[in-house]
Amino acid sequence: MDIILEGIKEAFKLIFTLDSEVFEVVLLSLQVSFTALFIASVIAIPLGIIIAKNDFPFKNLVMRLIYTFMGMPPVLCGLFVYILFMRRGPFGFLSLNYTKEIMIIAQTLLITPIMIGLIINESIKCQNEVFSLAKTLGADKWQSFKLLLFEVRRGILMAIVTGFSRAISEVGAVMVVGGNIKGKTRVMTTYISELKGMGDFERAIATGIILLLIAFMVNSLLYHFQRIKSYGS
Amino acid sequence: MEVKTEELLKIYDKEVLNVKELVFKSGLITAIVGPNGSGKSTLLNIIAATLKKDGGRVYYDGSLTVPLQKMTIVFQKPFLIDASVYMNIAYPLKIRKIPKEEIKDRVEKIARDLNIEDLLNKNAHHLSGGEKAKVSLARALIFKPELLLLDEPCASLDPYIITEIEKILLKINKEEKTTIILITHDLSEAKRIADEILLLNKGKVVALKKRDDFFNSDDETVRRFINGELLI
Ligand SMILES: Nc1ncnc2c1ncn2[C@@H]1O[C@H](COP(=O)(O)OP(=O)(O)OP(=O)(O)O)[C@@H](O)[C@H]1O
Ligand SMILES: [Mg+2]
Repeated sequence: MDIILEGIKEAFKLIFTLDSEVFEVVLLSLQVSFTALFIASVIAIPLGIIIAKNDFPFKNLVMRLIYTFMGMPPVLCGLFVYILFMRRGPFGFLSLNYTKEIMIIAQTLLITPIMIGLIINESIKCQNEVFSLAKTLGADKWQSFKLLLFEVRRGILMAIVTGFSRAISEVGAVMVVGGNIKGKTRVMTTYISELKGMGDFERAIATGIILLLIAFMVNSLLYHFQRIKSYGS
Repeated sequence: MEVKTEELLKIYDKEVLNVKELVFKSGLITAIVGPNGSGKSTLLNIIAATLKKDGGRVYYDGSLTVPLQKMTIVFQKPFLIDASVYMNIAYPLKIRKIPKEEIKDRVEKIARDLNIEDLLNKNAHHLSGGEKAKVSLARALIFKPELLLLDEPCASLDPYIITEIEKILLKINKEEKTTIILITHDLSEAKRIADEILLLNKGKVVALKKRDDFFNSDDETVRRFINGELLI
């Protein structure tokens, strides 16, 4: 119990004293996960809707693969990316392993299938109705697509929130490709795991609390944004 | 807008629609009647181009091009967008780039006509079945289509509002020369507003006649239908 209380006290101390080591880690975490989230959103939102709407050969296989990748363990994703980018690997010439960039790539690969899968499910629920309604009201292709985007906006937001939560909280992928190098690739989750190894539980808990606080704030922000959008005309 | 169909065919596991030639005259109100499953919605949705046909042609004022901008259908199960009632009704005007002020006036007017002013700020997904039916009707009427297809528009409405809606349909039919094809289960409604009546049974046309000719018909099947007997 003492350890937890100490951790909470320590957390607030670290937050209010703007502890530079912790802040560096927090900033890098946010930078990596938000960039991954952004790239994944740009890919997953249109792709999810396109996959849901169109029939093409092996569609069922593609869907099953996406659903499988939705549950992929982060460490496996990290391993896969690591092998692709290790010196002898196909992309080794880029020498990206143990950099911020490779962590972004790994997290993007991790969360894109999750977001695609969620968006496919949302879109399938109402796409036929939306498209036939749009058509009967005289909308063109682009207007119909926009109407569908609007109709599934809550689902898209859920996908974004889920993608972000998954990215910011995973440790396996960033550990394998980034290596938790201080000042370079150390993020909140790998830092926590390192602190635990060193027996520095106060700092570990403190960092954990900051992680949760950030997740809470980001989610609240997105939900707030969502509420405004759905009621405004 | 005149609608003419030729050799329309729709097959699911069996043939559900097979009609040789039909003409829905411009500027008239035609009621489609018939037992459940007789192919009424199938026919209407093929005319609306929301359902693929397995054969045949539909001519709109003599042309095979579907004039999507000038016609619309109100489905048997209304589908409303997850937004305010106002936004739902305004949508057809918005995509036609009508100025905001004019949209506001027109939405408010149609809402008054249909007695749904109080609903304008509600989310459309929170409405009752009858309210949804009225909103989807308002959304169809607002852009003044030349061809209006209605699949049981009054099925879930109370008698007072049915009278109101019938008045509105008669009014736009008279003033805007809107061609209306509507499905109804209520023969007295057909009698009140339709110029012509089409009776379908098992995917086939039994009769397409002027209202009075229909009700005075001595065709055996028509008589049975009017008397509420089972059709064979
Ligand atoms: N998607 C479908 N798959 C298989 N059969 C269908 C499908 N849609 C309609 N049918 C069949 O086609 C026939 C005609 O259906 P339709 O909806 O046109 O009837 P309806 O005259 O509108 O009936 P109701 O008065 O009950 O609305 C019915 O037998 C129905 O079961
Ligand atoms: Mg029907």
